[in-house]
Amino acid sequence: MSQGSAAAVLEPEESVLGEVRSALPEAFRSQVRSARDLSRRRRRERDDDPLSTALAPLDRLLDGGLPRGRLVELVGRRSSGRLSALLAVLAAVTATGRAAALVDLGDALDPQTAVDAGVDLERLLWVRPRRTREALAAAEILLEGGFPLVAMDLGQPPVAGGRGVEAGWLRLARQARDRRAALLVSTPYRVSGTAAATVITTTREGTAWCREQHADPLLAGLHVGFVREKHRGAAPGMREALAFHAATPWAADRLDARERPPGPVLLPFVRRRREVSRPERSQPEKPWQRLPGPASLPQEPEALAAGG
Amino acid sequence: MRLACLSVPLFPLAARLRAEPDLIHEAVAVVSGNGAAARVVAATRRARQAGVRPGMTLPQARVRMPKLLARARDPHTERAAREALLETAERFSPRVEDTRPGLAYLDLEGLERLFPGDGTRSGEELLAHELTRAAEAVGLPARVGIASSKLAARVAAESGAEVVVVPSGEEKEFLAPLPLARLSPEGEVCSTLDRWGVRSIGELAKLPAAEVASRLGTAGEELHARARGRDPHPLVPREPVCTFTEGTALEWPLLNLEPFLFVARAALDRLTARLEARGLGCRRLELSLQLEPDGHDLRDVDLPSPTRDVKSLLTLVRLDLEAEPPGAPVLGFAFTAHPDRAPEAQLSLFGPAALAPGRLAATLARLFALVGRERVGGPRPVDGHLPEGFTLVDFSPAPPPEVAPEPQPRDGRGLMAVRVLRPPVPLEVLVGDNGAAGAPCQVRSTATDDEKRPRVQGRVKVAAGPWSLEEGWWSDEPTAREYWDVELGDGGLYRIYRDRTRDEWFADGMYD
Repeated sequence: MSQGSAAAVLEPEESVLGEVRSALPEAFRSQVRSARDLSRRRRRERDDDPLSTALAPLDRLLDGGLPRGRLVELVGRRSSGRLSALLAVLAAVTATGRAAALVDLGDALDPQTAVDAGVDLERLLWVRPRRTREALAAAEILLEGGFPLVAMDLGQPPVAGGRGVEAGWLRLARQARDRRAALLVSTPYRVSGTAAATVITTTREGTAWCREQHADPLLAGLHVGFVREKHRGAAPGMREALAFHAATPWAADRLDARERPPGPVLLPFVRRRREVSRPERSQPEKPWQRLPGPASLPQEPEALAAGG
Repeated sequence: MRLACLSVPLFPLAARLRAEPDLIHEAVAVVSGNGAAARVVAATRRARQAGVRPGMTLPQARVRMPKLLARARDPHTERAAREALLETAERFSPRVEDTRPGLAYLDLEGLERLFPGDGTRSGEELLAHELTRAAEAVGLPARVGIASSKLAARVAAESGAEVVVVPSGEEKEFLAPLPLARLSPEGEVCSTLDRWGVRSIGELAKLPAAEVASRLGTAGEELHARARGRDPHPLVPREPVCTFTEGTALEWPLLNLEPFLFVARAALDRLTARLEARGLGCRRLELSLQLEPDGHDLRDVDLPSPTRDVKSLLTLVRLDLEAEPPGAPVLGFAFTAHPDRAPEAQLSLFGPAALAPGRLAATLARLFALVGRERVGGPRPVDGHLPEGFTLVDFSPAPPPEVAPEPQPRDGRGLMAVRVLRPPVPLEVLVGDNGAAGAPCQVRSTATDDEKRPRVQGRVKVAAGPWSLEEGWWSDEPTAREYWDVELGDGGLYRIYRDRTRDEWFADGMYD
């Protein structure tokens, strides 16, 4: 077949592209691409891009964001900022116009908090299963349904239904891989075993109690440490810090209270507690009662430091 | 395009008289409502001659005519009469619009060869008379108007004569002398125009369009366009209602669910293939079971949105049968799909992909079956101060934006979330005598281990509060709470409150 007839069977666009390339110097030829090729490449890149969590420290731990097709496990005990991180991820994903699903085993979502955190509730599907087994099945259905992000929150211990079987988590991870969806599991203890591609633990490193002079303390926020325990292709142990502030307008500015030189930690109620006599064990049916405290409280210091 | 309007005046009465033809020459009124509040909707000529008018109450009508026969509106006879009218129209033209009860439009395109005219009367006049005769044959006294627009055809049909044909291109002249109320009888704009002294359609048509639009808004603009013979509403022919049925008679009776689902799956595959060929989805699925020896079992499966997903349909059938077994061996079955147009999503070039509506409907149906309809949906906050309040709405996400905005990562800051404890965990609290309310210094949840509630227990390291919350003080069940944020010795950071009405403590949230 001659060169001319070979060009004729090509797509018109490609033949034009060939002409343009041939007219260019050798060094520039490979840089000229068709719009279709560029669009395809762009779409492929976009579909494989990790989903940014909009929290820079978390993005750094995850190498850019929640990886698609992987199971990421976020492990943390009570008040460790786990739900705050989860809502931040949901907010970041729904803000880009994508839909997300939350499988909420603990039935713990407060829609108003979610709105405050920036979650677009129009794009959030909330599923409230009763047991772990139902939660696993629901997550699988959601992944199959094409949701780009499925977040699971197993709540606080005791988790209804326990950890679930590892085979269930493996099946879920495989489903996420097949659907190229991000799967984030927030749990009080490790549950997914080898199914998790990434495991991050959260630990509360301090509580920011803010206190103006001669005023009652106010909760300003949490200081949380994230440690990467497991990440495919990277060494464990990387650590990042993050602070979550209360929804009140002043709280974000006063989060750094704990970073000021710590004064004496005020525990007036604990001191008072020592003056209280514990009810006798021999009288278990006797209800707890309001017990008299000291007539005058000790003078409280100016600022409260972190509790922890 | 030439159109015919087939109109049945006083349709509720005509439908009733179609069912009871003996009453045609009696004084009859069709009423809506009960008892003394019943109002006359339509009345026969004898009753009207006696002074009975639509809108009167039945006692008022009976004062004018004591022997008036009253009949209540009957939805069954009206529905049957509506169908009869449409069937009559469909005998002449395949394109028929079902506008409202007693009013239908026909597309007359191509019928001129069937009705060429007989020298004295045009083909359209012949067709119109044929239409009225056909309607009379099914018991409906119809009027016919033929014109080039729906509006002119309707006005012609409602003009009083049995048949009115408006020649092509003369619609404007036909409409011009008629009163404005013919255009839009219930429009407020008509009364405004009447006050201005504009009383006929022709007078309105002469006014400048821009001036009318600037004074009367969109409604006036539309009315003006109609007065000039421009009808913005094209004819929308109705589609014949169709159902798809697939089933099979079994060679031996089935006793268990699994073998039944195996053969049911094949039938559903065939059913959805037929739906797909028509671009439809299943909105409602009926399952008819033939039971041994001669019983029948009929059940319905409703779907949140039209779908063709066999897996979802089969899951819903399984759940239905598990919840309520047929109680006898199955000899045969048939699935009947009531179809609806399956929604489609517009693909985006640069924005994120939207969820496929069909797949989303299947996903929701499966989730409903798994956890219950009341536990799946879009969360919404409710108006009020109680932090536990929320509501669920149907999940239907808006289309994604054309270009996806990229989130800007924040360094080191986020919003602290509250994990809601539903229902609140009852507590025993030891308080110090710190002012009027008293600060908690030790808490312990009273829930037993069997209740599987979070363990809230320990010494209070720091307590902040109280914050008062009162709601519904005007109601029988007012809410009065004092909230505290407490940090316990075990690390938990809780939101607890004292219910002032019952003097009890609860934890309703945990900062996490």
